[in-house]
Amino acid sequence: MQDERMIKPEERLPEIPRTLFLFRSCTGSLEYPGTESAVKECLGILGIDAVMDPDQTCCSGYLLTCSAHKPEVSLAATARNLSIVEKKHLDTYTFCNGCFGYLSELAHIMLHNVDYLHMANSMIADWGYKYEGKTKIFHVQDLWYRMKDALAQKVVRPLNGLRIGTHHGCHYLARQYRILDDGGYPTFHEEIIEALGGKPVFYKERQLCCGYSVGRGFTHKEETVQPQLYKKFKSAKDAAVELITTVCPGCNVAMDREQPHLSKRYGEEFNIPVIDLSQLIALALGVPLPKLGFAANTTSLNGVLKKLGLEEGS
Amino acid sequence: MLREKDTDRVENLYAKVDAYRLVENLEQCLQCGKCVGVCPVANLSPSYNPRQIINDILSGREERWLKSEEIWRCFWCANCFTLCPMDICFPLLMMEMRYRAIESGYGLKYFFPFKRFALRAREDGLTFAPASKKGREKIVKIRQSIGTTPWPEVSQKARDEYKALFDRTGATAFLEAIKEEDEKPVQLTYLEGKIINARRKDD
Repeated sequence: MQDERMIKPEERLPEIPRTLFLFRSCTGSLEYPGTESAVKECLGILGIDAVMDPDQTCCSGYLLTCSAHKPEVSLAATARNLSIVEKKHLDTYTFCNGCFGYLSELAHIMLHNVDYLHMANSMIADWGYKYEGKTKIFHVQDLWYRMKDALAQKVVRPLNGLRIGTHHGCHYLARQYRILDDGGYPTFHEEIIEALGGKPVFYKERQLCCGYSVGRGFTHKEETVQPQLYKKFKSAKDAAVELITTVCPGCNVAMDREQPHLSKRYGEEFNIPVIDLSQLIALALGVPLPKLGFAANTTSLNGVLKKLGLEEGS
Repeated sequence: MLREKDTDRVENLYAKVDAYRLVENLEQCLQCGKCVGVCPVANLSPSYNPRQIINDILSGREERWLKSEEIWRCFWCANCFTLCPMDICFPLLMMEMRYRAIESGYGLKYFFPFKRFALRAREDGLTFAPASKKGREKIVKIRQSIGTTPWPEVSQKARDEYKALFDRTGATAFLEAIKEEDEKPVQLTYLEGKIINARRKDD
């Protein structure tokens, strides 16, 4: 199973699609609905059609890794969701690192253990689904990077050297054989930010995990998650980061919602807003602010928007 | 000369520790310890040590980890997997260890919050949809201000089928069978800069 992880470059870099299947993320549509909306707006500006399907459910990976979903249920749900995409003859694009990581790992398990594929397909066969492994799984950030020159030409609100720190997210980087960059030292977000006119900041703990991953925010908040986040934000503050971008709504929850608690516990204010990379791109491309849903953020973006000469409502 | 294998020392090693057959290359572990160096949890609580866990499993001493608090600290960031020269998917091993711990009644308190989420997700077809009316109203308000549908579009068909998958795969029965009274205590062997486990008896 491990040897099969390598994939060919042409599989990793297919032609830019004209139509793609956009895989709904639970956190991305509930906690930060602006993420979903921003992704759709960006795709629209790039002339790519995004197809979604109300029959798609949660990727069901998160609760699998929290030991609450049996692997059987997650495998069957993945087969079901991906077979819906296959019927449309499209590739799957996610906007959450979790969905990307779990879908690709569970698909990998099914495609390299025939027993699992049979098991999953037998669970969903009577509803008319069959997963064959035809649809490929990507994250929209792949598209943003591959089309960064096109994006740069469409910038209407340049970021004016705003100091932006990135957070690449573990569940994307861990899929080392199917991602665009070196999982050990990724820099492609920084290149996108530069193309939009921002100033990427390489703060020390740039690659540190958000710590919320798979439920530790519910069970070990005091013991591990908050010290972890404190370390991360401390280094971001030392590097004078003004805004952090993520590509995973889960990381966004950890880093945005947890800031008031960090200030209370450690007696230090950070006030570094955290948004999705897609929201930042949409902002630079001139998408109206209400569509970006910054109202959902706990750490306000007002300071950043003011610096860019924008007011809420424009 | 034949090389000694770990499976010679522990009978049915993989059947025991890898029932789902997801980390079949565990024996290739070089004990290089790169996983420990890159692990954010090992950094914060040094008694959580992926290299040691693999070493113990391969020599049939994994019982102490099943009873430990440490295994519940893993962030699942998979940095260890990214760096592992032998491509051992340690997070999947951790997932299987947690299932085994739950089956024996260890670490249930780290499972119950997610039992609730799972039963909720079974109804919604979405994870983390709040159950309270207030929580739902907040989401509807923000979604409407953006101009999207008030609630993520998940069809009734999707919900019914998702729910049915839980019953068909035995996941509902699994969730309902685990009761709070079965809880057995787990122990963290690291405190205040000391690894308690390393103390000798006569200390």
